[in-house]
Amino acid sequence: MALKVLTVDDSKTIRMIVKKAFSPYDCELFEAENGIEGLSLASREKPDLIVLDITMPVMTGTEMLEKLKADPLLKGIPVIMLTAESGRDNVMQIVKMGVKDYMVKPFKGEQLIERIQKIFKLEEKSEGKEEVDTSKLYFSSDGDCMVLTLPAKISRPVSSDIEGHLGNQLKEMLDAGQRKFIMDLRKVAEINISLIKLILHVVQTCQKSNVTVRSVGTVTLSDGLKEFSETSDLTVETSIEAAKATF
Amino acid sequence: MVDIYSLDFKRFVARATNDIFDTMLSLKINISDVSTETIIEKTRIVGSVGFAGEVMGCMNIHVGYTFAKVIAGAMLGEEPEAIEEEGILDVVGELSNMIGGDVKSRLCDAGMTCSLSIPTTTSGSDFTIETQGWVRHESLAIHSDQYVAIVEVYVKLNNSK
Repeated sequence: MALKVLTVDDSKTIRMIVKKAFSPYDCELFEAENGIEGLSLASREKPDLIVLDITMPVMTGTEMLEKLKADPLLKGIPVIMLTAESGRDNVMQIVKMGVKDYMVKPFKGEQLIERIQKIFKLEEKSEGKEEVDTSKLYFSSDGDCMVLTLPAKISRPVSSDIEGHLGNQLKEMLDAGQRKFIMDLRKVAEINISLIKLILHVVQTCQKSNVTVRSVGTVTLSDGLKEFSETSDLTVETSIEAAKATF
Repeated sequence: MVDIYSLDFKRFVARATNDIFDTMLSLKINISDVSTETIIEKTRIVGSVGFAGEVMGCMNIHVGYTFAKVIAGAMLGEEPEAIEEEGILDVVGELSNMIGGDVKSRLCDAGMTCSLSIPTTTSGSDFTIETQGWVRHESLAIHSDQYVAIVEVYVKLNNSK
């Protein structure tokens, strides 16, 4: 069963770092922005572990910890405190509060995991659970063409996911004797560096595999891509049919 | 209690900043004094935290918007261009929290007990921040590739304590 972890921090940045640190492991993450939200989530979800920041608005981590320790149902939950203050008095106060451990910022995600592994044996996500096949979200067949449909926003995780599937998809195409690939950009709402790099990667990978690639997108997107040296030469058709006609 | 005038704030800030950039951002930085050649991009974000107790003061980090995006990208493991405005502000706020937290710890270790405020951020291209009434003011420039940020610390003794 997945370990339930509650991260309570007013900084979204720190919550994201904590979340990423746990991502290789079989954990279910819950997030709260302050002590009140943290207490409410702790009561509802009964997490196995709480990663708790000290300095927060509305209710501080110290206040939340006091309330946790006063609640018979919650007082046994191990708490790891995060603090930006490494002073002697602060550290002494944290230790006295009965926390399992504490981490002084700055910290690396791996350091947090090392500390947690002293309390719990974190199970890495099993292959079956981790390898949810997301390729169907992006890749589909249309006659003798493979179509890659990009989502509205391309972030680095999304582009990594697509790049990870591309090799297999091209192999399957080639095995089936197909050499036509369409990159459908019509849903893309924002041009960013991840998108540019992904387009370049797809085009170059297809070229290396002797697969002919065509692009489809809106006029606005096509104009936007011309602003970048990497995609300035990319021809963008306005429909799948138009793209097919150019093969 | 150590005298407030004898505390080496520049060393505190430099050590904390180096530690943060190395541990959480994996960005190499050089730290120098601020000079007339230290110019920050006009559009900038300022992250601030305050100290209150036996000593009063604040710490501001001024980061040009482009550098702030690079820092946010490094901290979150994302492409800088993919990070939204809110995320960039949050990262600069957290940066000020960590540097300020370390300075606050050094003050407390020196016997000058104080509390740290929650970080705030200010962004724009046409503003100045004036901090008055301090007895110590130190500032340092942080260089990483072509980017520059400035960290300022202002402190004074709280005479009412």
